[in-house]
Amino acid sequence: MDFQNRNNTANKFVCPSDRQLALRAKLRAGWSSSKTSEPLRPEEQEAIISVIRRNEEIEIAERQRVGRLVERVEKIKQHAVERGPNCCRLCGDTFGLLRPHRIICEDCRQSVCTKCSVDINIRYHTSERTREIWLCRICSETREMWKKSGAWFFKGLPRYDTPRSASATPTPTPTPGGMASMAGRDWSCPVASFTIHFRFSQGPVQSAKCKVGHSYAMPANESRSLSKLSRTQNSTLVRSPVQSFDPFLFCQFPTIIAQSHRPSECPDYDSISLTNGSAVAQLRRESSSLRRGSVSSSWSISESSGSGNSGTQSQSQSQSQSQSQYTQAQQQHCRDPLLGWLEIAISYRENFHSLDCTMVRARDLPAMDASGLTDPYCKLNIITPEALTKYTRWQRTKTVHKTRNPEFNETLQFVGVEPEELGNSLLYVALFDDDKYGHDFLGAAKVCLSTVHSTSQYRISVPLGVEDQYSSAAEMAQEWPNGKILISLCYNTKRRALVVNVKQCINLMAMDNNGSSDPFVKLQLKPDAHKNKKHKTSVKWRTLNPIYNEEFYFEASPHDLNKEMLIVTVWDKDLGKSNDFLGSLQLGAQSKGERLQQWHDCIRLPDHFHEKWHCLAPDNPAH
Amino acid sequence: MAKTYDYLFKLLLIGDSGVGKTCILFRFSEDAFNTTFISTIGIDFKIRTIELDNKKIKLQIWDTAGQERFRTITTAYYRGAMGIMLVYDITQEKSFENIKNWIRNIEENASADVEKMLLGNKCELHDKRQVSKERGEQLAIEYGIKFMETSAKASINVEEAFLTLASDIKAKTEKRMEANNPPKGGHQLKTLDSRTKDSWLSRCSLL
Repeated sequence: MDFQNRNNTANKFVCPSDRQLALRAKLRAGWSSSKTSEPLRPEEQEAIISVIRRNEEIEIAERQRVGRLVERVEKIKQHAVERGPNCCRLCGDTFGLLRPHRIICEDCRQSVCTKCSVDINIRYHTSERTREIWLCRICSETREMWKKSGAWFFKGLPRYDTPRSASATPTPTPTPGGMASMAGRDWSCPVASFTIHFRFSQGPVQSAKCKVGHSYAMPANESRSLSKLSRTQNSTLVRSPVQSFDPFLFCQFPTIIAQSHRPSECPDYDSISLTNGSAVAQLRRESSSLRRGSVSSSWSISESSGSGNSGTQSQSQSQSQSQSQYTQAQQQHCRDPLLGWLEIAISYRENFHSLDCTMVRARDLPAMDASGLTDPYCKLNIITPEALTKYTRWQRTKTVHKTRNPEFNETLQFVGVEPEELGNSLLYVALFDDDKYGHDFLGAAKVCLSTVHSTSQYRISVPLGVEDQYSSAAEMAQEWPNGKILISLCYNTKRRALVVNVKQCINLMAMDNNGSSDPFVKLQLKPDAHKNKKHKTSVKWRTLNPIYNEEFYFEASPHDLNKEMLIVTVWDKDLGKSNDFLGSLQLGAQSKGERLQQWHDCIRLPDHFHEKWHCLAPDNPAH
Repeated sequence: MAKTYDYLFKLLLIGDSGVGKTCILFRFSEDAFNTTFISTIGIDFKIRTIELDNKKIKLQIWDTAGQERFRTITTAYYRGAMGIMLVYDITQEKSFENIKNWIRNIEENASADVEKMLLGNKCELHDKRQVSKERGEQLAIEYGIKFMETSAKASINVEEAFLTLASDIKAKTEKRMEANNPPKGGHQLKTLDSRTKDSWLSRCSLL
């Protein structure tokens, strides 16, 4: 090999220039040029041609997609007013004290108003530092277009076909059936998938104008039936295209439709956003754990920060937001339809007004540690018809250790349950995994008490479901006096090191007389043969909610990480006497639940930061 | 209804003949495995859409023939690839040694920005192993790329490998577009957009 390369003075790991490549191709020399010139057999040629044909179909679809992206940007550009330096480039509003705020776009350096701009958080990949910048709509869309079309990679926009669009044919013929809906769908979907779009739709009228074409393209009755569907059905599949349409339909269609639909539609919006409202927070937690990129999360920030918009649009916004939560919840549900089973026996003693709930056993609970076992326990409460928990204190069974099929056989008594209450109350049971460093949710079950009679015991086996607001309430009822810590892990393949970013702690214990502490965090990766895997953060003085954002490198191969354990301890710095212990956390392959997941994610998906909140345990692992 | 997606990533599988490129692709796209060996004729591709960070990513994965006689055809597809999987067979020492040649091939023909990944396939065949995992890791470090041992037959790491490559490309996309923004980069981006694109547009309408 080296012999052949001798005359090649260039670094062999650097891509040669085009000129070099062209020369090599002419010489027909070099390793990559084919030496055998056996011609292709006819059947081989045919096979290759068929592949090329298939590829062509994909290319066409791709060209059209890029064309649509280009056209989107072009449309926004066309609608830019460009009235001068004292007016917003896009909507033409003049700036002033009581007027819209002036913002300079990062890319084009022109002034725009807040409504016509987007703020994005730029995360530098080398560090965890973020920076907020503002972009006007044109530039942010252009960036998005460069990203999505692959132009960033090819150093220029690839070939594209501009769609024979609505703007070209102002009066599209409403083709019946499939074609019309095809056209509508084809258009609606990229729109629906842009989260960022909501921000624009709040803005000036022109964004609505862009949609004229396809909203007209849909025959009136069809759109009506669609919006009817959206009212009656809860199916997200039907909803997603429709909801993105609705606001525009209202804008464009004769007022009759708007009037006939709005009153019935509005309470529906409300009820949905209400029912989802409580679940949103927890679902968002899930979704944030699903997301990894920096940008996608910053989009959602800009989306939720949108203010000063009119009523309907905020409704549609929250609507579509809650809708995505819905889909996520459903996906969640689809992924693990059953989290196991729980067998309960319930009896009611009327003379004592007491409800005896016996947790008999559970089966097939999710595994929580590396060896596939769980330490489950149950928490119980009664849910009143007002959807509130009846008792502030949740009843708890004992923990059954190291099993996925625990036999609890424990009876818990709820005293003060009136007979008439039984008819419309629910027994709520949530199962958690018992661990020193946080209790992970296993599953929850609701049992209707209306079937419980005073005469006989009611025995039932129920499937366990996913998290909801009650289970998080049960989780909240957990006592964590030592506070929580936010830690981000990343395995850096270039440096072959585990990067631990200690971000912040909250609700730490007060150790000093002034009602505060001076916390710092110690990190150690164990087993530590060379005694060099120890780090500590700076001390944050007089605070119970310190923010560190400090990064530490632990050199280790990914293989080793499977055996190691990261020990995190939080201390209160005291001058002149020994430091006080504030809390501890262990992360590693021996951890359980979310902590184990974070550790595994970190190894499985290197070069990405995996961030999670953890509870701090009260005992010091050193002792 | 045409399936929509946010990104289209073109990936390429290369490596010696018989290392299992087609099987890896078959496992990833169809989740199936075929024991009979059918040599790929020239080129082929499969499509699978995945979801990353709530973005739909359409992966067009090109499978190339490992045989020398198709080399001219296969190299033509290097230029458009955003990610390349270099595959060797852990039971074939020669296929591992040839990885160096394949990397040179990439350097000669592919875009400089291409994201690479090294895969040691057939890792379920422990008793026939000729290339240790450490050597694979070592080589990957040498070239600064990621490495995984996979098995198309036992369905080990195939999914992970493609997801990792796709997410790396996506991360690169974002990084590139963000790195462009500090003052001068931003200007450059802008000038590119406003001038060159307009000219493209006009050219397009002329044609």
